[in-house]
Amino acid sequence: MNDLCCDIGFKSINHAGEQLCGDHVDIVEQEDGNTVIVLADGLGSGVKASILSTLTSKIISTMLAAGLSLEECVETIAATLPVCSVRGVAYSTFTIIRLIQNHTAEIIQYDNPHVIVIRNGENWEYSKSEMSIGGKKIYRSVIRLQQDDVFIAMSDGCPHAGLGTCYNFGWQREDITTFMEAMSLCGYTAKTLSTLLIDECDRLYGGEPGDDATACVVRIRKRIPMNMLFGPPANRDDVDRMMSLFFSKEGKHIICGGTTASVAARWLNKPLRASLDFEAGDVPPIAYLEGVDLVTEGVITVNKVLEYARDYVHENRLYDTWSNQKDGASLISHLLFEEATDINFYVGRAVNPAHQNPDLPINFNIKMNLVQELSAALAQMGKRIKVSHF
Amino acid sequence: MDIVVCIGSSCHIKGARSVVEQLQDLIAKENLSDKIKLSGTFCMGKCQQGVCVTVDGFFFSVSPENVRYFFETEVRPKLQ
Repeated sequence: MNDLCCDIGFKSINHAGEQLCGDHVDIVEQEDGNTVIVLADGLGSGVKASILSTLTSKIISTMLAAGLSLEECVETIAATLPVCSVRGVAYSTFTIIRLIQNHTAEIIQYDNPHVIVIRNGENWEYSKSEMSIGGKKIYRSVIRLQQDDVFIAMSDGCPHAGLGTCYNFGWQREDITTFMEAMSLCGYTAKTLSTLLIDECDRLYGGEPGDDATACVVRIRKRIPMNMLFGPPANRDDVDRMMSLFFSKEGKHIICGGTTASVAARWLNKPLRASLDFEAGDVPPIAYLEGVDLVTEGVITVNKVLEYARDYVHENRLYDTWSNQKDGASLISHLLFEEATDINFYVGRAVNPAHQNPDLPINFNIKMNLVQELSAALAQMGKRIKVSHF
Repeated sequence: MDIVVCIGSSCHIKGARSVVEQLQDLIAKENLSDKIKLSGTFCMGKCQQGVCVTVDGFFFSVSPENVRYFFETEVRPKLQ
């Protein structure tokens, strides 16, 4: 195993007036460390397209993950998909990216716009071998991964953006590539890159997409560990054990919670300096402690982070808020969502007697739930999470 | 003179931000920044009595509503 990992993110917009998206992305992570990503684009739009693309992506990802051959997958789809009554065909195009042990990517494409690969900030042409399965022309490529490679899979709604309004022939593949080449060097996450691409499509469509458009981005990056301490241990005798474990870990260190920070400051024998800068209205100020990368207040801040995390895995509307603000919750969001790939939580189970007041919305159960829900959201972002309780 | 305001979770909910801003305001208006050092701290362990404030180490319970009164009775007399 190398120290690379894959950051995967996608975003879709629906055909104007439709509630369902006719494109579907399915990601299956296997136990052996391989990942199968399928982007399917169903014929037409709305319910029918949504069913076709969901079936296609689910069938392919499940079968490939189970080790069946591509031929069998394609035959199964052809035999399973309902036939469109208007057009008389069962049809959904697809792109498959199979990541093998973080060192190789296998790309299989059927009728979707070809995957764009950006290496070192430049478009990288890869070779494709053509094969025919069940009368369908399918292209297969195998690419050895390098750090910072960016793979962009799209449905045809992306190159069709602006067709007839902004551009005569839509947003050409070359122009999308140029647009993304510049973005790929900024260190944006896969989710952010896919959001930027889709937002631009939406803009070119004038806010009324003429087709479903989806972008799925895979970014190859180095593993970055991050450690977060939240709450003092239930038993005072465990402070030493908890602190030495936390501070001995590689990567950045975040401490959430006033009492927790004070305990850590005593253990480190360094002064804790709280700032009085209220950056964002509802989050308390941060503090500074030598040896710790970020010190914030606890429950209120983490609650805000959870709100950002939930938005990030779905609509990603609050990105502009937390990526620009400098309050505790925004800074944690940046570290956890963008920088980290492996996050270790050290959660103390001490009950703060002052918080067990019915007037305060911050009791012990809420704190434990916060950690659980935040780790679930981070896992959805593809992070490896480890939670230790003290 | 050192005034320290708690900015922990509990005091935050009880209006620490407003207390800090009002104090900053008063200090600026009366040109007292050379006499008063305002700073923040985390939990003082008396969350029930928040917003927790100390003046040269002595503890006071302040709320956003009585900052002005607190300033006149506890801070100004000690400046002379």
